[in-house]
Amino acid sequence: MKIKKGFMLRNVGGKHIVVAVGEASKSFNGLIKLNDTACFLWEKLIKGSDKDKLAKALTKEYEVDIKTAGESVDEFIKTLKEAELLDE
Amino acid sequence: MIYDIAGIRVKMTPRYEKLINQSKEYLSNGEADIDIDFPDSITEEFFKEYPYLSKEDCEYILYATGFYEKILDYDAFMLHSSAVVKDNEAYLFSAPSGTGKSTHTQLWLKNFRDAYILNDDKPAIRITPKGIYAYGTPFSGKTNLNVNIGVPLKAICILERGEENKIEQVSVDFAIYSILNQTLRPKDEERMDILLNLLDKVLRNVGVYRFICNTDPKSAIISYEGMKDKNICFDVKKG
Repeated sequence: MKIKKGFMLRNVGGKHIVVAVGEASKSFNGLIKLNDTACFLWEKLIKGSDKDKLAKALTKEYEVDIKTAGESVDEFIKTLKEAELLDE
Repeated sequence: MIYDIAGIRVKMTPRYEKLINQSKEYLSNGEADIDIDFPDSITEEFFKEYPYLSKEDCEYILYATGFYEKILDYDAFMLHSSAVVKDNEAYLFSAPSGTGKSTHTQLWLKNFRDAYILNDDKPAIRITPKGIYAYGTPFSGKTNLNVNIGVPLKAICILERGEENKIEQVSVDFAIYSILNQTLRPKDEERMDILLNLLDKVLRNVGVYRFICNTDPKSAIISYEGMKDKNICFDVKKG
């Protein structure tokens, strides 16, 4: 799984936000705000990853057990899919 | 011809009355910082694609687009808004076309003797060593309501129509979303980065509000009172 081309994560006004440029902006003129965890997962998904790797990475980075990490990842992936930001 | 717009020297050669007249106040000389001229064939092509527009309007849109794309390199960007000045401070009312930006700023003129319209359609916002300024430009929409001057930017106000007048400060993401949808959206990552950097500076120094308003003349007083005293923007540490 990988974030589709044309979605940029940047820090603006102290917030992590995602905007679309180029082709991506033709179907997406919204804006997504990411918290720290989502930001962390996003950076991994830019390069490409899968649910297991992401959950494991979360447990390493944050004090969280694998089950909770898995749930966070699932929820995040679900949101990205609904917004059509993910290439699978 | 060379024009001085928002402190940037622009090479532009309007051929149609509308832009020729609206740009007169900006005529200047010297070397151009940016060249936004384009051949007649571009106007023709554009006209073919949008035949319901006049060629005059096509030229206006093409020059405005060229200008606003290039000024990103001069720490400046466009906000589709009606800019009104009071107490030597600019308040920019931004919203999609038809919401009532000009209607509202006209109410400011009715209520405040010292208020004037800086630009009724596309003012430029520029980060300068002296601070963040709003500038009048020749691109003022249907009317020639623009003044060739730079004024410190006090606030950006996102306008919406509603039953009751209500003004409030907004979240950072609401501000970014609203502003991005009322500016020239850059086509690539590099240009978007420039714009986002400018936005970041603006958000740290300028108040951004949301104003739900009706057409009651008193709405001008409500918006002014709601923005005039606050000097800050977002507490970016808290986010």
